[in-house]
Amino acid sequence: MTDAPIDSSIRIQHIADFKPPALSRAWASIPNPNDIPLIATATSDKTVRVYSLKNFTLHSKLEKAHERSVRSVAWQPRIKGNESVMSIATGSFDATMGIWHRREQFGEHGDSRQDETGGDEVAEVEISGFGQSKPHKRMDNSDDDSDESSPEDWEYSIVLEGHDSEIKSVAYSPSGQYLASCSRDKSIWIWEEIGEEGEDEFETVAVLQEHDADVKCVTWRKDDGNGEVLASGSYDDTIRLWRGDDEGEWSSVAVLEGHEGTVWSLQWEPEVSRKAFMQSEGTDNENEYNKPAQRLLSSSADHSIRVWSKAPTPPPPNKPSYFSNAGIPSTMRPGPSMETWVCSATLPTVHTLPVYSISWSPISGRVCSTSSDGRIVVYEEQTKGRTSVGGEIERAWVVIGTIESAHGPYEINHITWCKRFDSGKRRPDEELIITTGDDGAVRAWSLEEVTQNEKTSASDVPSS
Amino acid sequence: MELDNANPTIVNPSELPSYRERRKIKDESRQKQGIRQLFMGKSSYAIDPFYLSDYSDTDSDDSNVEPIDEQEIYDLIAPITDPEHPFSLASLGVVKLEDVHLGSPTDPTKAAALSHVLVELTPTVTHCSLATVIGLCVRVRLDQALPPSFRVEVKIKSGTHNQSEEVNKQLADKERVAAALENAQLMGVLRNMMKTCLEP
Repeated sequence: MTDAPIDSSIRIQHIADFKPPALSRAWASIPNPNDIPLIATATSDKTVRVYSLKNFTLHSKLEKAHERSVRSVAWQPRIKGNESVMSIATGSFDATMGIWHRREQFGEHGDSRQDETGGDEVAEVEISGFGQSKPHKRMDNSDDDSDESSPEDWEYSIVLEGHDSEIKSVAYSPSGQYLASCSRDKSIWIWEEIGEEGEDEFETVAVLQEHDADVKCVTWRKDDGNGEVLASGSYDDTIRLWRGDDEGEWSSVAVLEGHEGTVWSLQWEPEVSRKAFMQSEGTDNENEYNKPAQRLLSSSADHSIRVWSKAPTPPPPNKPSYFSNAGIPSTMRPGPSMETWVCSATLPTVHTLPVYSISWSPISGRVCSTSSDGRIVVYEEQTKGRTSVGGEIERAWVVIGTIESAHGPYEINHITWCKRFDSGKRRPDEELIITTGDDGAVRAWSLEEVTQNEKTSASDVPSS
Repeated sequence: MELDNANPTIVNPSELPSYRERRKIKDESRQKQGIRQLFMGKSSYAIDPFYLSDYSDTDSDDSNVEPIDEQEIYDLIAPITDPEHPFSLASLGVVKLEDVHLGSPTDPTKAAALSHVLVELTPTVTHCSLATVIGLCVRVRLDQALPPSFRVEVKIKSGTHNQSEEVNKQLADKERVAAALENAQLMGVLRNMMKTCLEP
């Protein structure tokens, strides 16, 4: 493997598989961002499966719309006043994006109707301790058809066309105002929902074409007072940041170069880790202007995971001369809003094949990653303190847990942190890791803290 | 259509490396009066139960299955037909046994240990516009025939094609390969090329 520092202080424990699984490759599973205990899985069988996080069983299905693989799925963040409708955007290899709605009443704690009345139809999965889930009753009598006539079905409301080839990734902005899609056609489209609520009218506000090759992933950063920022990763090995100006013109404000392979996945730093960073720097105050910009995490086909930070402006003098405006024609100068970003850290290299997916926990600040090599790796950023008086505080990323062959011999395409909702939950803020693989399986993993004297191999491979 | 290479060099099939002899000897010692004895010394396309069999069945007991070696991987892709000539990739010298490399499993004691296969292709001409299609076909053939623990890498042999880096990157991109498989027109081309893999 590698000589990466591994401090196995946690054990990654398989607790359940979502049932029934897809029979072919599943691409990604996205938890609902509005505290509803659902997770949506995009699969190569042209559907999206929505599973319950309470009992790891199928809740509903989005189907019969796309002609090819659904590669990507995004939940719309909840918009005030429209809380009885869930909305999902799907991006497909058929080059279209779909918008779906489902009317459903949710209780205070996010219980869906199915969970409340499911007595006859749904056998609750029993969770004993950290045990395995038992087979779901629905598996035997395959009454999925009854769901299809339900008035609470997912309604395929509108198709958004424009891309020339496969859509690789779709993402709602945190405010719900914008929707971004990216494709093998090298472009990123930004859509804005206009008109009255429920009218489903979308307008293309930007088509961004500065990447030299396929755009693999897009992700939005929360508005920090200057608008929402979009990050994109590409087959051209670069990452770009995009921002809209006061006139609504969108442009690239930074190019992040360093990866030596396709950039597969991007994640913005969550608030929890930003706060920890500021505390360690002694700059903990509420003044937004003094806060460092959120960092960006990226994973690549070059097997590495990198952390990017915005360089303070003006750039330090040891930067190459092209960052200074002297001696180059004014038209070549970066615009006033151009930002300089640097790779400020590289996570320990554990993966031996392309790293397809990373996730940065908004609760613990930990990072997890997965790869074609079938591993799950969990990292933590630890503060080492100052090594010299008045020097910079040193921080280091440490591997705190790994597991091999998490989907048997299959590749794993996606990983995400996810709030725990099932009956085995032990703490209010407990998190699970959810992985999605080429075998069609979606697996849930819990983290067990390992005591000092049982620190052995932190692996417990589920038999499949 | 204008051919990229109107005059390719063809290798005599009898000179191509084959598994037939080795397998026969093994089979013989196992079951003395096998019907396959009758085929001894015949052409390289004699019936062989191992020849081109799909290894996608992972349910079988691994302990009885011999490890897959370079020759077996070669045998899976050698009969693929060139998209513009009625010859196999092996007889055109695009696929060569010595350019099939098999990395040992990362940890042989684990059932799910991964194996790494690298196949280097030699296009017939350095500007061959069909290198991507040929490479894709080799990758698809191996992805479909080998067990899921195999990670397949298909590359253009360095110095044999003027766009080898671009082609290599495309062939290594899982998402692009997956999307290509959903393209009916392209799949039709690949299926035609692979027809000769399924013939006895």
